[in-house]
Amino acid sequence: MSLNRLFVLSNSLKVGRRLIRPQIGQTRKEPLSHLQLQRSIKTNSRNLAYAKDLFLGKVNKDEVFPYPEITNEELEEINQFVAPVEKFFNEDVDSKRIDHEAKIPPETLNGLKELGLFGIQIPEDYGGLGLSNTMYARLGEITSLDGSIAVTLAAHQAIGLKGILIAGTEEQKAKYLPKLATGENVAAFCLTEPGSGSDAASIQTKATLSEDGTHYLLNGSKIWISNGGFADLMTVFARTEVVDKDGQKKDKISAFIVERAFGGITSGKPEDKLGIRGSNTCEVTFEDTKVPVENVIGEVGGGFKVAMNILNNGRFSMGSSGAGMIKKLIELTAEYACTRKQFNRKLSDFGMIQEKFAVMALNAFVMESMAYLTAGMMDRPGLPDCSLEAAMVKVFSSEGGWVCVSEALQVLGGLGYTKNYPYERYLRDCRILLIFEGTNEILRMYIALTGMQYAGKVLTGKIKEMKSGNVGVAFEILGNKLRQTLGRHQDLGLTGKDGVVHASLQDSAKKLEENVAFFSSTVEGLLYRFGKSIVDEQLILKRVADVLINMYAMTAVLSRSSRSISIGLRSHDHEVLLANTFCADAYFKNNLLMTQLQKNSPENNDANIKKIAQEVLEKRAYVCSHPLERTL
Amino acid sequence: MNSAHILLRGQCVRCLVPYVRTAVKQAVLFNGGLPHRTALSSSSVQVHRAVHVSCRYNQNRTVPSAFKGNNEDAKKEKALVAHDDLFERAGKDAKSKATFTKVVDIFNKRDKRRRGHVEFIYAALKKMPEFGVERDITVYNKILDVFPKEVFVPRNYIQRMFYHYPRQQDCAVEVLEQMEGHGVMPNVETKVLLIQIFGEKSQPVRKYQRTTYWFPRFMHANPFPVPHQLPEDPVDLSRFSLARIANDRDAQVTVYQTPYTDLTETGEEIQEPHIVGIQSPDQQSLLAKHNPNRPVFVEGPYPLWLRKTCVYYYVLKADLVPPEEKVEEYIDPEMVGPQQSLYYPLWIDLDLQRDMGDDFSFKVENLEEGAVYAMCMAGQGDQATLARWISGLQETNPILGQIPTIFRLDSGPTELQDTMESQRPPGPDTEAEHGMDSDHFTEEEHHLGGQRVKQ
Repeated sequence: MSLNRLFVLSNSLKVGRRLIRPQIGQTRKEPLSHLQLQRSIKTNSRNLAYAKDLFLGKVNKDEVFPYPEITNEELEEINQFVAPVEKFFNEDVDSKRIDHEAKIPPETLNGLKELGLFGIQIPEDYGGLGLSNTMYARLGEITSLDGSIAVTLAAHQAIGLKGILIAGTEEQKAKYLPKLATGENVAAFCLTEPGSGSDAASIQTKATLSEDGTHYLLNGSKIWISNGGFADLMTVFARTEVVDKDGQKKDKISAFIVERAFGGITSGKPEDKLGIRGSNTCEVTFEDTKVPVENVIGEVGGGFKVAMNILNNGRFSMGSSGAGMIKKLIELTAEYACTRKQFNRKLSDFGMIQEKFAVMALNAFVMESMAYLTAGMMDRPGLPDCSLEAAMVKVFSSEGGWVCVSEALQVLGGLGYTKNYPYERYLRDCRILLIFEGTNEILRMYIALTGMQYAGKVLTGKIKEMKSGNVGVAFEILGNKLRQTLGRHQDLGLTGKDGVVHASLQDSAKKLEENVAFFSSTVEGLLYRFGKSIVDEQLILKRVADVLINMYAMTAVLSRSSRSISIGLRSHDHEVLLANTFCADAYFKNNLLMTQLQKNSPENNDANIKKIAQEVLEKRAYVCSHPLERTL
Repeated sequence: MNSAHILLRGQCVRCLVPYVRTAVKQAVLFNGGLPHRTALSSSSVQVHRAVHVSCRYNQNRTVPSAFKGNNEDAKKEKALVAHDDLFERAGKDAKSKATFTKVVDIFNKRDKRRRGHVEFIYAALKKMPEFGVERDITVYNKILDVFPKEVFVPRNYIQRMFYHYPRQQDCAVEVLEQMEGHGVMPNVETKVLLIQIFGEKSQPVRKYQRTTYWFPRFMHANPFPVPHQLPEDPVDLSRFSLARIANDRDAQVTVYQTPYTDLTETGEEIQEPHIVGIQSPDQQSLLAKHNPNRPVFVEGPYPLWLRKTCVYYYVLKADLVPPEEKVEEYIDPEMVGPQQSLYYPLWIDLDLQRDMGDDFSFKVENLEEGAVYAMCMAGQGDQATLARWISGLQETNPILGQIPTIFRLDSGPTELQDTMESQRPPGPDTEAEHGMDSDHFTEEEHHLGGQRVKQ
């Protein structure tokens, strides 16, 4: 009884705290604008990284709170763009036909060009729209309504011409960007090769400098090139011979701008694909293509960095695209669920159907939050390294998208499976998201290993001392562990006096803090256990990446809904509901994953999983005898 | 000690069994308790035989072959010879399953009482491999069918307690034993027969139960099973053996030469041997990296046993590359290092090793050896034949043209054949497979000391 009473008391205390908190939230509007002012000053020496610091158990509030905003003028501008684009996609784009004929009709392409969608991020000086990453993401929501168009546009500007935009010289920009911005020239990005796949390091295409030193001769072939069939301009990566500091000759990768007019370029037959059938994907072969020396992007031998920068910056928009798609699907499916009757009840009355809608709404909400948070981080002045965050957005949204489309199809049952409805097309189209721009497996490895490297650099000294038997350090860690297991809540400053999270999200913020603290000790344990051999522990790294993605997603929804509630956006209570639901769910998932991480491989099933796979792969077939088989 | 005592005593009791049994039988006879005539006659036969068995029983119980040498059993031996003759006569024209079953049928028809069936069964078991039916379950069942039914089934607890009709039971156990030896799984028919003949808890049925319990458990224990029927064609056999040695699913088997008969100008017939080689893509790429200044060696022959057949293979290998000549493949650290995201980092820059508690690897002493680049099997092991293999390999491995090839051939198989003939398994196919040109090998032996270089 007395225990119960105590519980009630503490609950009422919590309510009381909540009652006081909103005031804090409301008064925060002022410092918000204050912070924004501060930001531009601070950026020059900006080397804060949110996701990486999570590995050390730090929450860099300044990076992610408050949720990034755009100015009123920008908002107005983007709204002006959005309306006609939306109209165009709703009225003039026949996705079914594009999918069926495996070709985007020229009039649709022309319409896109007229809208300026081929030069969204090209500065206005060069005839583009000159929009920021955030606004690019906003437009991505609409273009994603047709997978083929989205991929064509992305191949053109997210990767195809990004090289010139990021690392091109003034002359290169002046020469190429105007035509690219209008869509007169279409760009493509040529990195993947038959022998390499995701492994870009094994590029075989060679660029040899001519004797007079005026041009390079390009030889080799590239596969899976989006827009490869008709692109007039290509960013091509090839090996060049570079003399390094020691005077040794080395093969290094360089990036080139290659015009189709240079000659010697042949495009193969377009690939017949499962989804995004309207986009053109083919093999491109270069045979003694003469590329002038001035067409090298960046410096000779620096192509690898260029490629990395392009891809790192291109990934974030997948979050908003996925969210755009799911939002559309929710509308379509909800219509059906609310009208269709089964057993005299509407479909929407069934719990299992309701759950599907909740899943879709949650996923769309989280994706959106992550995408715009990351876009906002990238839009800040300076050269922020958001590759980790962008990769997380990509992984989360591609997988969430796949689940949601499949759930939407499920709501319609057999109808969804037919070609009369667009669901099957969405399902096919969105499957590519898990594959391109770095497969999710590779990105998970990247996410986990980059963080591990960062944490490892900081923690090496401490772990070494511990290994050498320093009692003090050992006790300190033991104490930390003990404190954690006793369940004393971690306070990382998200809530409380200087808290940045709104009071109604306090519990969720606490969960995030708890996860972060647990995560940092887990990471420390992993580093202690595996050291640099963690590179080979892919199953562990996968879990590390998943935990990090979940934590970043939690951060994004907390930040976004705190802002919404504080400035009183419409239906912010729904956002809070979504945020709390997601955080509770992610908290459990994280705890499970981290508990598994603390176990040895025989206990968390990793050893068994590996063994099963090994036995199957050794036979290259399913190993078991048929159940009907007999020996007697 | 105690158990030994019991064992001893048990044996004593067993020795007594026949005597006791005869007594019992006689008692039964006097009482006239057996109504059927057949049963009566069989038991009277048995009385006689049981006494007979007992004396041999003490001498040499377990070895059935002792029948032959026992002078006391001259009559029996005659019978055995007679049965042998039966098989010999039948097998004169063709030794096959049909003739074998025919012999059994003849025996069955000859005497309604199946007199001398134990001897006949022992003889049949011995003749089985000759007729090539030693792995045929139906034939074993046919042999078991020779036993008269229901006669040997114990009818009361005393019979059940003491080894009833031991010779017959031993004989049936011997049949099962031979099945086991040849890896033949008894089937339901066997079980039905055994129960009909000896009853539910008899020794043969127990043997059957044990066999059917253990056999399935060990049937597939070997992960690399060798089929009972090896391919007849030497090319197919080589293909099979090479794939077995290489144990690499990517490895490519190439037939460089199929066996054929060639006519020389002088009109002589020359048998050209088959040459079959195997090479995996890994081996190919290793060979491509071989330093052309260092020679490669053709070594062999090495034996490979496939059940009762032995085949020989040759390898193309190199000596261990000395450490100072090893070229580390250069990989741009920028592309695989911790900072890159195109592909995930292949290593991270940390000064921490794996903790001992998480190091589940075994301590393995790794001993490096020279790489094996390819393997082959040929109908002849002379240098000319193997040189043809190397030139065939050269088509897919152009680098072989620049590498000196040294032949280090042992006179192996011929030598083996001469000195270890008795140990080598007989069989026509083995001979055909490895009937190497012995003249040639003696010639090779002279050169064994000095290696010959083929450029």
